[in-house]
Amino acid sequence: MSHEEHRLHHLDMITGEAAPTVLIPGDPGRVKIFAELMDEAHQVAHKREYLTYTGTKDGVPISCTSTGIGPSPTAIGVEELIRIGTKNIIRIGTCGAIQPFLKPGEMIIATGAIRGERASEEFIHVDYPALADYRIVRALIDACERLGVPYHKGLVRTHDAFYLESPWAMGDYKARLQKWIDLDVLAVENESSAIFVIAGMQGVRAGTVLLSGYPIFEEHGEDPNLEENIKKLVNVGIEAAKILHERGLD
Amino acid sequence: MKRQHHIHLLPGDVGETVFLPGDVSRARVIADHFDSAELVASNRQYNTFTGMFQGVKVSVTSTGIGGAAAAIAIEELVKVGAKNFIRIGTGGMFQTWLPIPGVLVITGAIRGDGLTREYFPPEYPAIADLDIVEGMLATASELGIEVHTGLEWSHDAYYAGSIDSKLDILAIEKPWIDAGALIASQEASTVFTISMARRCRGGVILASAGHHQNPGVSATDEEMVKAISDATKIALGTAVKLHELDHGK
Repeated sequence: MSHEEHRLHHLDMITGEAAPTVLIPGDPGRVKIFAELMDEAHQVAHKREYLTYTGTKDGVPISCTSTGIGPSPTAIGVEELIRIGTKNIIRIGTCGAIQPFLKPGEMIIATGAIRGERASEEFIHVDYPALADYRIVRALIDACERLGVPYHKGLVRTHDAFYLESPWAMGDYKARLQKWIDLDVLAVENESSAIFVIAGMQGVRAGTVLLSGYPIFEEHGEDPNLEENIKKLVNVGIEAAKILHERGLD
Repeated sequence: MKRQHHIHLLPGDVGETVFLPGDVSRARVIADHFDSAELVASNRQYNTFTGMFQGVKVSVTSTGIGGAAAAIAIEELVKVGAKNFIRIGTGGMFQTWLPIPGVLVITGAIRGDGLTREYFPPEYPAIADLDIVEGMLATASELGIEVHTGLEWSHDAYYAGSIDSKLDILAIEKPWIDAGALIASQEASTVFTISMARRCRGGVILASAGHHQNPGVSATDEEMVKAISDATKIALGTAVKLHELDHGK
């Protein structure tokens, strides 16, 4: 007896359409940047904010799926990727850097995330740690070193409300951030803890690399090299996928 | 500088890497694995031996049971110059596919304890240091010792969450078992988070005699002596690797 596999409810894919390693930006526009940086890549699905391209780089199959902003659509994206057999999930995104020593264009590799969002609490109690897989952390470090991209490794804070902890926030966002600065948190963002908890509970490897802009309490404005730096970010993800392949982890 | 309040140590008394057993008598068992060792302080449950292993100065401090006592030891050890903390302990396993006895490299902890809640908001993660995890896995591979990696549930009440509990422990532990956590013990969340906050390295290696699901099946005393010895050898090899990372070969 055989059943036809249903396409995933949101990602609109079936098993085999995504590579074992999937890079997940929030922004669908960055999937197109991924496609341009690959040796070849083609669109395999597009529904809502979920756009997927699969291709190869130096013979290694890699996919890229956008998951939208925030823990809710990201939790859906991660769960559905796991259901079609994804082995490694790497978030490639932007963030608000909060430590004064962080410079624009530097990469932030998360070792774990503060669970300041609510989606992951529907899966498991907050005592459970949002932990990046150590093999993905190492692959991202090695990718940055191979590509000569400066990086920092440490904690990020994931939360739901962008307009409470960003330069465009209401009221005194610096006071809200001080607690996290004092805990050596490198950056605030909106997705990693949901990814780490959902993947961790199912034994799937996950990690995050973020592009640092100016520390969000400094008045520098936008990074003038943002476009170029985003390409670097995507290239770090691609290189990490290749390293995981070399290490037999896909 | 005065001797530290509880551990009675002065700067210079310990190496950069300190092993942290809970059991007071195990400090000497671990020190017996060094190339040389002497007792440098003893107060309450805190016994410290310092010596050399393969040319690297190393120490062991017993902490007693629980996060409260372990946090005191780590805070005071930081003040006398320790930088790397490796707990060598025991626990009760959650996953029946793990061998008996098991030797487990802990990568992170479920924060079921009270000590770390006083220090950190609950959503803060307890993470093992990457260099220690990789050092332990490389050493285990060099020594041919089978190890498994995963999470510890760190909790406070032994008589609530162990095979000696009168409560339905499998019901209490079900969320953690279902999430793939490997073992129940008490101190990893403290070792990881206090080390992170003090910008030090924290790691944990555990030996276990059995599974909570099968309280009647247990490793023999001889098997556990060997498993704890294996865990100690892995911790010692890791200390040498950390020394090479920080100071070169």
